[in-house]
Amino acid sequence: MTPSPADRPLGPYLRVEGLVRAFDGVPAVREVSFAVGPGEIHALCGHNGAGKSTVVKLLSGQLTPDSGRIVIGGQEVGFRDRQAAQRAGVALVDQELSVVPALTVLDNMLLGDIHVPFVNRRRTAAAECRRVLDDMGLGRIAPDQPLSALSLGERQLVEIAKALSQKARLVILDEPTATLGDVETEHVFAAIRRVAGMGCSVIFVSHRLTEVLGLCDTVTVLRDGRSVATTLAKDLTVDELIVQMLGAAPRRLSAERASGQADARALRIEHLNVPGRLTDFTLTAQAGRVHALAGQLGGGASDVLRALAGLHPRATGVVTLHGRPIPFRDPVRAAREGIAFVSNDRKSEGLFLGTSVARNLVATRLPALARAGVMVPRRERRAARSLAERSRLPPHRLDERVTALSGGNQQKVFVGRCLDDGRVHALLLDEPTRGVDVGGRAEIHRLLRQAADRDLVVVFASTELDELLELGDVIVTMRDGRIVSRYEGDIDEARLLRDMTHGALEP
Amino acid sequence: MRTRNGSVGAAESPVTRDSGDAAGRDQRPGSPGDRYLGIGLAVALLALAVLAVTTHRFLSLDNARAILASAAFVGIAAIGATPVMIAGSAVSLATSQTATVVAMLFLATQQLGLWTALLIAVAAGVALTGAQGAIIGFWGSNPIVLTIAAGFAIGGAATWFSGGTPVNPAARGFDVLNSAPLGLPLAVYVLLVTTAVAQWSLRRTTAGRQMYLIGENRAAARAAGLPVGRVTVLAWAFFGACVSLTGVFLAAFNTSATVTLGGTLTLDAIAAVLVGGTAIAGGRGSAVRTLGGALLIAAISDVLLLRGYSTGAQILVKGLLVLVVVIAVHVRTTRGQR
Repeated sequence: MTPSPADRPLGPYLRVEGLVRAFDGVPAVREVSFAVGPGEIHALCGHNGAGKSTVVKLLSGQLTPDSGRIVIGGQEVGFRDRQAAQRAGVALVDQELSVVPALTVLDNMLLGDIHVPFVNRRRTAAAECRRVLDDMGLGRIAPDQPLSALSLGERQLVEIAKALSQKARLVILDEPTATLGDVETEHVFAAIRRVAGMGCSVIFVSHRLTEVLGLCDTVTVLRDGRSVATTLAKDLTVDELIVQMLGAAPRRLSAERASGQADARALRIEHLNVPGRLTDFTLTAQAGRVHALAGQLGGGASDVLRALAGLHPRATGVVTLHGRPIPFRDPVRAAREGIAFVSNDRKSEGLFLGTSVARNLVATRLPALARAGVMVPRRERRAARSLAERSRLPPHRLDERVTALSGGNQQKVFVGRCLDDGRVHALLLDEPTRGVDVGGRAEIHRLLRQAADRDLVVVFASTELDELLELGDVIVTMRDGRIVSRYEGDIDEARLLRDMTHGALEP
Repeated sequence: MRTRNGSVGAAESPVTRDSGDAAGRDQRPGSPGDRYLGIGLAVALLALAVLAVTTHRFLSLDNARAILASAAFVGIAAIGATPVMIAGSAVSLATSQTATVVAMLFLATQQLGLWTALLIAVAAGVALTGAQGAIIGFWGSNPIVLTIAAGFAIGGAATWFSGGTPVNPAARGFDVLNSAPLGLPLAVYVLLVTTAVAQWSLRRTTAGRQMYLIGENRAAARAAGLPVGRVTVLAWAFFGACVSLTGVFLAAFNTSATVTLGGTLTLDAIAAVLVGGTAIAGGRGSAVRTLGGALLIAAISDVLLLRGYSTGAQILVKGLLVLVVVIAVHVRTTRGQR
């Protein structure tokens, strides 16, 4: 990549004006405008649902805006796909790595690059790859190394190098450090600074606010789909940034919730560890209360739930539910001991999409609806009806295919499946309202509250502040696989966000 | 050729259905694509029927009997393969080797009496196949790779065990298996009973219902705590029992067993299940469909035979038939699901 600041007039390289984008009538981005100059590192901040990922997708050609303009290098652009964006010099380094571990560094760089001719000279390509790696200060990585030999952080660096080798003038980094340790993060930052030093514009999306202020020149804050402020990073503190993200004064929520009595009925988790993901997690979750695990992507909240459900092959620790031990690595026994798990991925790890609503509702308790292994249709029908009623699903739609329902109703089927009081004692939910509309979300929250009122243990993980504050009686904040703090009753929104984003303790 | 039109029309509908998950929008099943597919298949079947009835001697009782008889051996194994495929562990590539070993065991133990020999043979088939099911169900091994390996091992054992020479029985108690009560071979009755048992078990028992769920979405079944391993073993054990029955009938029919006795049983059984329309990715299908598939293949082979075509032509048509059904049914279902 050859920087040529001379042949371009000064001023912003990227200008975004009045960007709007809705999904099925629900606006995700209402009005976003900002500008990024050449060589500038520009942060996009905002808590979940603020519209960051939609903006990233609009800029990288994965979505088209409903209205508004994207101006790159003085020309208005309208990308129809990622290739078109790539041709205009926009490269995206995704949240999930798009590199292929089995291939070499060089092959990964060539992969998906529109500039690579069908017949290409390997030696030239290898030399070019070497040059890009050197430019980034990655002398220690060789082009012919298989990617699987590199650490996660190094793979991330290869991703960035790949963006550079594609002659990018604008590099968008979407949560590049979510799963990295401190040292690796520092390497990634060094690489980003070099990239910017070569005249490239960089957009950096992250939840980690200290990182944002340490790395970036400018910060644009998004709130409810609008860009609310663009500030120089050196003029900001983390607390000021949080105030911008939350809008007005942070809410302080009082303890008007039922305070459950401490008794023996509880899910006790002691020294739960998952190598590389979760460190020494200890919590006693009383029956009858809703427990919220608050953390950002990669914070470990999700791993707690998966380990308890028997889905983490390397989990260790001691877990008892109402005094009975729950074994690890065995989802069948976890379910038998009364643990019901709602995964954050309804489509691939939740519902049986080709099957009816009724059959989805009773899927986990067929043995209870059978006599000597033979299904009793009358019992099955009754069970499906009562679960539908409890989870507020329209009873006349029981025989429809579950995919015929809206996202909100599908999620109610998923949660409703677990509201089987005879068998379920602890309800574990990972992002219980992901991809659910506002109405469905309120109903699911009510279902969970009612489940707690019926003396179930309810534990959920979420990245959304509103959800955590609305629903959690006890909130446990997590970051980098560790507990930061535990709150009960009086909870300060700003403090919660600070715990989740940069892990500082008492001010 | 109408089937092709049908499948093209069908391929378009799942795309819209797939997006049913997008927030807020409700969609209903039963798209026009499904209708085209139904019409296409009906026309194809009608064309085959016309071809069949205009074939000399096709519509005779003797010929119907011949079709049933020729469908029976493969059919029994195919019925067994149905739950395995529904439960999402694809197919076994060791079917003919297993049938061969069982046939050898059956003939070699004839001196112990028919029933003892039968019991030993079926037990061996269930154990061999069930063990593969355990490795697939509990350890998540790839069924294709595993059954290729198992096929070599079992076939090798059969060769070693028989020393490469035919296994001949010491007694002829097995002759009863070649009988034909009421004019139909015993194997046909066994096929019908097996179909009925499999159909009922899949629809009405907890294990059968769990097979559909596991085949439909294995990750979801696991996360929900369904007994994925146990149910998979059960499906494979049932498959083993069915393959054993086929092996026993093959042994009785041939009165001796060589290492090539199983022949093309492996692929014939898979073809019957697929032509019946059971999804190779799992989650849908039924035993009755497989019975239909087996009968359809047998009927078509029969028509070609009566019209004087060679075995090669019969195999070619069988291949084309599987291809058409796979395109028409399976492309549609897999697109609709994922």
